[in-house]
Amino acid sequence: MKRMKRVLVSMLLIAAMLLSVLSLASCRKEMPNFEMPEGGYDGSEVTIVFYHTMGQALQGILNSAIAHFNEYYPNIHIEHTQIGGYDDVRDQISTELTAQRQPNIAYCYPDHVALYNTAGAVVTLDQFITSTQEITRADGSNDILGLTQAQIDDFVDGYWNEGKSFGDDKMYALPLSKSTELLFYNKSFFDQHGLSVPTTWEEMEAVCRQIKAIDPNCIPLGYDSEANWFITLCQQYGSPYTTLDKENHFLFDNDTNVNFVKELRSWYKEGLVTTQEIYGAYTSTLFTAQGEGEVKSYMSIGSSGGTVHQLPSQDGDGKYPFEVGIASIPQVNPQKAYAISQGPSLCIFQNENPQEVIASWIFMKYLTTDVGFQADFSMASGYVPVIESAKNDPYYQNFLSKADGFDHIAALGASICLAQKDAYFTSPAFNGSTVAREQVGALLQKCMSAEWSEDKVDAEIRKVFKDAIDECKYRS
Amino acid sequence: MTNNVSMAEKDIQKVSAQQRVLKILSQVLVYAFLLTAALTVLFPFYWMLISSVKSLAEYELAVPTFFPRKFQFFNYVEAFNTANLGRLFLNTLFVGVVSTVLSLIITVLSAFAFARLEFKGKNALFAALLATMMIPGELFTITNYLTVDAFGWMNTFTALIVPFLVSVFYIYLLKQNFMQIPNELYLAAKVDGTTDLKYLWKVMIPLALPTLISITILKMMGAWNSYIWPRLVANDPDMQLITNGLRNAFTDVNSGKTNIPVQMAAVAIVSFPLFLVFIFLRKYIMKGVSRSGIKG
Amino acid sequence: MVESKHKWKAWLYLSPAIVLLLIFTVWPIINTLRMAMLEGYNGTAELGGAAFNFGIGNFVKVVQYAKFLTCLKNTLLLCVLTVPLSTVIALLIAVCLNSIKPLQRLLQTIFFLPYVTNSIAIGMVFATMFNIIGNNIGGENQLITTAGVINNFIGLFGVDPINWINAGSAYWANITVLVIYIVWDALPFKILIFLGGLQSINKQYYDAAKIDSTPKIRVFTRITLPLLSPMVAYAVITAFIGGFKEYSSIVGIFGEKMGPAGDQFRLNTMVGFIYDSLASNQQGLASAAALILFCIIFAVTMVNLYVSKKNTHY
Repeated sequence: MKRMKRVLVSMLLIAAMLLSVLSLASCRKEMPNFEMPEGGYDGSEVTIVFYHTMGQALQGILNSAIAHFNEYYPNIHIEHTQIGGYDDVRDQISTELTAQRQPNIAYCYPDHVALYNTAGAVVTLDQFITSTQEITRADGSNDILGLTQAQIDDFVDGYWNEGKSFGDDKMYALPLSKSTELLFYNKSFFDQHGLSVPTTWEEMEAVCRQIKAIDPNCIPLGYDSEANWFITLCQQYGSPYTTLDKENHFLFDNDTNVNFVKELRSWYKEGLVTTQEIYGAYTSTLFTAQGEGEVKSYMSIGSSGGTVHQLPSQDGDGKYPFEVGIASIPQVNPQKAYAISQGPSLCIFQNENPQEVIASWIFMKYLTTDVGFQADFSMASGYVPVIESAKNDPYYQNFLSKADGFDHIAALGASICLAQKDAYFTSPAFNGSTVAREQVGALLQKCMSAEWSEDKVDAEIRKVFKDAIDECKYRS
Repeated sequence: MTNNVSMAEKDIQKVSAQQRVLKILSQVLVYAFLLTAALTVLFPFYWMLISSVKSLAEYELAVPTFFPRKFQFFNYVEAFNTANLGRLFLNTLFVGVVSTVLSLIITVLSAFAFARLEFKGKNALFAALLATMMIPGELFTITNYLTVDAFGWMNTFTALIVPFLVSVFYIYLLKQNFMQIPNELYLAAKVDGTTDLKYLWKVMIPLALPTLISITILKMMGAWNSYIWPRLVANDPDMQLITNGLRNAFTDVNSGKTNIPVQMAAVAIVSFPLFLVFIFLRKYIMKGVSRSGIKG
Repeated sequence: MVESKHKWKAWLYLSPAIVLLLIFTVWPIINTLRMAMLEGYNGTAELGGAAFNFGIGNFVKVVQYAKFLTCLKNTLLLCVLTVPLSTVIALLIAVCLNSIKPLQRLLQTIFFLPYVTNSIAIGMVFATMFNIIGNNIGGENQLITTAGVINNFIGLFGVDPINWINAGSAYWANITVLVIYIVWDALPFKILIFLGGLQSINKQYYDAAKIDSTPKIRVFTRITLPLLSPMVAYAVITAFIGGFKEYSSIVGIFGEKMGPAGDQFRLNTMVGFIYDSLASNQQGLASAAALILFCIIFAVTMVNLYVSKKNTHY
């Protein structure tokens, strides 16, 4: 026993020694704070590390954009890597931050920026945007470091504002490429039965009933994302969801929200709607189903980024079983329309070398304002450009002009997205805003699908709301 | 008389016939049970393999097909093409082999010390080692990441190899094995003036070979399947391991859809070398794993 | 045991292992302790200069959290169900395998297959097999698009489709699927151990039993089982340690939301709880939860060791 104690004590001592050595060695480096150097970018050789989630096809487009960029700035080398999905990028960077090994630029969502900001790791962009410093490019032409007023105005407002939705009115991110939710409908079926495309939720309910009467073995509407449905309805009703107020972030437990959730539940129980999670498969497969007697849907609300998946497959003769129509999602008040804005933005990280930070900005400015890149990227990804002038790109115009409900469905989706540019909104971003998003999605799933006896529904829904709020508070 | 004998004989025949029937019946039952169990075990694999050659559209059919209508071997090409597979294989092989060899050396030395040598605090130390097995390893990630960075090992193979060289589980396994070797052998060797290391090399290692081989397999499998750690410390495409490279084939973030057939193809590709290794070394793995259980 | 004159030699042999363990295991454990004792510790906030109070706040918050008990309950339930079940089935298969000649090798290889595959990937296969696609399942306006392979199969026997893992599914149905999958996943290692043990049992025991014409059941309970008891003990102890760390099988079937649609985290386990805390950047809570889990596993293992010492025959 005595021996054991001695051994244990000596082990602890060794551990303590090790601890002190290591804690010295790994003593956290101070996060640098970028300040604009006198002469701006001095033309020195720098390598910019860029994390994204692009697949092979999009990386090809990025590579040619980089080649083009290097004609102007041959000394700025771009090293880009795909890091899985959006959450993987966030996890990777938040670990890398602890050792100051973060990239220079990364794909980001607003809540990622809020997380990185707790470590003070994101460079504010205002100092760049307003800079009038002259730069001479390799081809001899001149440019300013910042953005001109015309360039700023060119950004779609909803997308631009997302970059400063952090409560301090500072700009932390620039939008790169965006998507929203669209209503896909079976145009052939609608035309055949003289149905009109719903523009409000009331009309939606009525149309669903009409469709159910025509085809009882169907689920008229499939909605892809429960969280988006909840958040969008909050915005459309003008009822609180979350705020930036640190004391009380989570406001979604209110009467308006309880009421619309209850309404959606009754639609579900009536067999009018379903969602991806509840249904157990992509709702787009329900929409594109075509066999006799198969369960189908005639409307589908999903991401504009996935437009091509809403197209049914051709039969042996290359003919499509039906034509797809696309419209904006239904509204509470059509006079004041809202549609959610999603898709990656870009942010710049602090770095010891100020030249790397400026070079990152120059590259970011190129990606977000170059008409050719914005247009190419949009055509390949199904997302829409963030600047309005991309529409003037001849290739993009040609792409849009072919829009139809068959082979060129991507162009049809893009044109609807472009037409509703004033409707885009994003919800406030703070560290923990994803928890709220997850929770309201789960809440809607539960309230729609749970088996409750009719007299208990109200109490149960209230309880689910309360639990979701508790969970949000615990997790943030 | 003869009648009686023949009666008795008949009885005996009857009994042995009954026994034979019973035996056959029990054999049939045993085979039926084993085959059903085997089919149950195989079905998910079958499902994985047929899914890996289906087209996305067929995979998503409302009523799934049990046999692919059309074989789309292109999925495998696609899984291959999304990553620089040759490089990934070489990297994984390198990391796997080096870490296995080093790990074996460390494990053999430690197991020898625990099994054959007497020193103060041996049991306490061994108990402490066992206790570390019970902590979820995920918690170590962030601290180890900082350590590796402080050592300047980021984006090197060292970072992929060194942190996982010691496995208490393997030391435990091998120690049990070593302890079964009679002590007299060691004493005799000592009298002959054989050094510890020579004894270890000439006697213990050959006797414990099955266990060492199964440790090798487990370690190689670890290199083959590891995912989170390599992605953190070796992000450089030149350093990537196979699961990290193949993972890119799975996620198409921009459309928000997973191409499951391609993913299944990738999983099949990753599992295949391990499967081959198992087939070839089955005998040794069997011996190795089962021996560790004796004298638990 | 040999009393070595050169005790330093033992430490020399152990030194590489000890040095590496100190750096990559002991130090992280110490750091875990530190994070557990700093209330509300969060790595990125620390980077940004935040300070944290020293205290047991993390432990209190974890224990008081409503879903902590759910996680504990799920973990225990899965352990208690899967460990005996997989042990018995593996024993049965091993005994049967040992008693046959033809096909033995082929079947051995088949039963080992699950060992060489990625458990998350196979979990996805299981999920598709049990997946039932449709609306209002079991309710008034029920609409089933596809009932899934398993439901199609039990439908052959006239059983109505069961909602195994989808929205509105029952807790017992979820647990059944998990138990099937975990047992399936755990079989190969156990079969291997038992089969190896069976093959090393001296044939003389059986020959003696044959002469006495002892019934087969008796041979099994009186000879096979006692001689196999060290392997059974080993399998059960490691299975319990593994069972308390159950996580990837649930992710495989239900995804990272750890439950059916409409009831997320219903099936969450202790390790899942730790992961969640890490994912939402609450390393303090994660560390506290990990230490609690460690204490539980430690206690259970001690009990296991005690019980097996009493019942194991060497």
